[in-house]
Amino acid sequence: MARFVVRRLLAALALLVVVSAVVFAIFNLLPAADPAELRAGKRASPEQIEEVRQTYGLDDPVLVRFGRYMAGVFTPFEGGPLNLGTSIFSDNEPVLEIVLDRLPATIFLVAGAVVLWIGIAIPVGVISAVRRRSLLDRATMIATLAFISAPVFWLGLVALYLLADDVGLVSVFPGIGAYNDAEGLLAKAWALVLPWTVLALATAAIYARYVRSEMIDVMGEDYIRTARAKGVPERQVILRHGLRSAITPVVTLLGLDVGLLLAGNAILTESVFNVPGVGREVVDAIGRSDYELIQGIVLFGAFFIIAFNLVVDVLYTYLDPRVRRR
Amino acid sequence: MRSMLRWATMAAGIVALALSGCGGDDDRATGETGIPDQFAAPTAPPDDARPGGELTVIAADDIDFMDPGATYYQFTYMVTTAGHRTLMAWRPDDTDAPSPDLAEDDPAISDDGLVITFAIREGVRFSPPVDREVTAADVEYAIERGLLPGVANGYIPVYLSDVVGFAAAEAEASDDPTGGAPDIAGITAVDDRTLRIELKRPTSATVIQALSLPISAPVPEEYAREHDAENPSTYGDLVAFTGPYMVANDEGGELTGYTPGREIELVRNPNWDGEASGDFRPAYLDSIRIAEGFDDTASASRRILGGSGQVNGDISPPPTVIRDAAEDSEPGQLVASPSGGNRYITLNTQVPPFDDVDVRRAVFAATDRVALRNTRGGELIGPVASHFIPPEIPGFEEAGGVAGPDLDFVATPEGDPELAAEYMRSAGFESGRCEGDCEISVIGDGSSPSRETTEVFVDTLEQLGFEPQTRHVDYDVMLTRFCNSPEQVPHVCPSIGWLKDFNDPISILQPTFDGGAISDAGNTNLSLLDFPEINDAMAEAALIDDPDERAEAWGGIDTMIVEQAPAIPYTWDNQVNIRSDDVAGVINLFNANWDLAFTSMSG
Repeated sequence: MARFVVRRLLAALALLVVVSAVVFAIFNLLPAADPAELRAGKRASPEQIEEVRQTYGLDDPVLVRFGRYMAGVFTPFEGGPLNLGTSIFSDNEPVLEIVLDRLPATIFLVAGAVVLWIGIAIPVGVISAVRRRSLLDRATMIATLAFISAPVFWLGLVALYLLADDVGLVSVFPGIGAYNDAEGLLAKAWALVLPWTVLALATAAIYARYVRSEMIDVMGEDYIRTARAKGVPERQVILRHGLRSAITPVVTLLGLDVGLLLAGNAILTESVFNVPGVGREVVDAIGRSDYELIQGIVLFGAFFIIAFNLVVDVLYTYLDPRVRRR
Repeated sequence: MRSMLRWATMAAGIVALALSGCGGDDDRATGETGIPDQFAAPTAPPDDARPGGELTVIAADDIDFMDPGATYYQFTYMVTTAGHRTLMAWRPDDTDAPSPDLAEDDPAISDDGLVITFAIREGVRFSPPVDREVTAADVEYAIERGLLPGVANGYIPVYLSDVVGFAAAEAEASDDPTGGAPDIAGITAVDDRTLRIELKRPTSATVIQALSLPISAPVPEEYAREHDAENPSTYGDLVAFTGPYMVANDEGGELTGYTPGREIELVRNPNWDGEASGDFRPAYLDSIRIAEGFDDTASASRRILGGSGQVNGDISPPPTVIRDAAEDSEPGQLVASPSGGNRYITLNTQVPPFDDVDVRRAVFAATDRVALRNTRGGELIGPVASHFIPPEIPGFEEAGGVAGPDLDFVATPEGDPELAAEYMRSAGFESGRCEGDCEISVIGDGSSPSRETTEVFVDTLEQLGFEPQTRHVDYDVMLTRFCNSPEQVPHVCPSIGWLKDFNDPISILQPTFDGGAISDAGNTNLSLLDFPEINDAMAEAALIDDPDERAEAWGGIDTMIVEQAPAIPYTWDNQVNIRSDDVAGVINLFNANWDLAFTSMSG
């Protein structure tokens, strides 16, 4: 097992290095706006632009910058490890500090949404599978289709205009920017009720259909029939034998989704509700062509995706011993 | 550059006033700006304005820099004008010239126009923890540190370049970026109360206006020195304030009230004593909170209009919200004012076919400027422009006002195809349309509404027989990789605009049409117009002190530029702002935004 984990860790590290190189190439080799010119201002002379370029090391050859960047991220040199550079448009704040500052809000948003969507998706998926073709099954599947089809930002805006206490028709839940105003964990949790719900509904719909499909397959297996023949209560058959098998691929999906959301994929929810997370930060960074920051956030996102894949791989070995044996 | 970008985004918010039907009647619109009276911006507080209360400014993005020496952004000015006193400052209704602020009076100018002397007010004190009186040396240091590469002020190299010793100081700062602020020989703190500025040429009118910008906000050297020794400077982390408000800080001066991208908390500066130290700002509010991150402008605008104690910061309400607000909101909740900017399409005057003035005039004549303006929203986005100096900037009337100069190719805003064909024939195209090699490169901003503006203009080019090869790219890419680079600039840059730095026509015309402004990088003369008579006229007009003569001269230059048709102006933008019903908002016409030091709570 230890060898498996170490092997996976080394592969993950190698993947991070590759991702870093690709991300650097995207922002430094492909045509993009000139950050030095943007930072210098609209009336800047060529000399001033050159000075800004020198100040931020943008005048060095691409390979030198690449070496510096990689050394800063992965080695103890160049201010590293984990030196992702500084944002030249945000009062020169270190990128790592910016990301770490935004991360708690994203983690809180994602964690709450995950609990909610799992809490919705599994019961809905199981009930739909068990009562296949019933009215309840059809109703829930139509509902899930609707939520899958609705863009998250649209769902967010509808939720705001219906239920938010600042712009909603009915003043029920905290509205835009409430997270920033809230102090203390409970107040922040209350401020996130709408964002959690919106993010969870859109994702729960996918998971519910996935669980349903897996459960239908599993419930047709021989060992389920055997369990029933042995007189195992139906509740146990469904939950212990059926759901346990059906949930395994869902874990894979969950690992990927959580990684993606922490990487900034909650971008729309964060933007609509003004939750100061990583996703909103990347929107702002794109808006001002802050490539160093975008680069840092993308790299951080890659780290999360790789890390959660690793977790899923390890978890899989427990859920499915065949993986460990391979 | 951010000011250009943000302004471009903000101005788009005007669009729906015309759609709403609230601006359609000419008789209700005020002349040159097209803004109906009911949406006119208030420039004075109500008589019964009362102190107290907290105001929340709703913003999408952050300010650019907290450091007053580095900032160069309209939204940041909203904050700096509440927190800093500058030598000269703009009262809400000032349009022609700034008023003395940190300076006791208008500066004295020597007879030869080469020496400007400011008398610094007594009793102005820095906020804690600096806690001492401001002296002339603090202003001198503030300006000089602007040359440090770690501060990199964006406008003093242009407007203060005639100060004696400026170039040498620039070189010194460049050679030793962390060696402290360079000494500009021509700027001297004669004593604690006297600041003397010596010029090589009598360009005092420009220098004085430039000193109304945040660069002249005093900086205590003993407090900032060690932070300015870093490159980039970290003075922005613990700025000292002199205005009525300051960003909340701790005992060491660290700004605890500023969380980039999230919030700025302005509290009253305990060392500010208002009228006693000659400040004209009433500063009614107890505190101001700038809440950032409201990316969805529609919901943010509704929150402001339906909420309490809020105004917009860097956001403009989208058309649907403006339409609703124009119909349903209380009077004064929605106001508009001229932005001090223009929009135009540049033609590259250095390469065929646009190196021929007749071809350029043909394109100008053929262009339906009303349609171009309408792509951005319609009548109340601003009037159809006929020249470059915007309304309320001196020189506007002298350049012909809204109607513009008396030139045949300017006379028909909807376009005159027959006249265009005549000009094409004058250029040697017998058919009145382009013949032979007629490929034209067009590189525009791909986002809406710029994309639509480009498409309308491309139609005009096609009608004249040109074959436009159009590329839509990101706005920043368009500027920094193509239009701002003389080697890469295409035949046509259709998504261009310019926002004044201050209310003097030099800040509109000189950067954009002076041949001397053409530079290898960061070029702002996108037409690459290098017309000796215009260059000479600008050099002469820059030396005029008398306001009327100056307006006359720059108005004439504007007409000379239009005669050469290096670009086609199509609108002078207005700026829309919104507030909650219980806010007695005051707009500062200079910044076209809420003046936080004049706004109060009315509820």
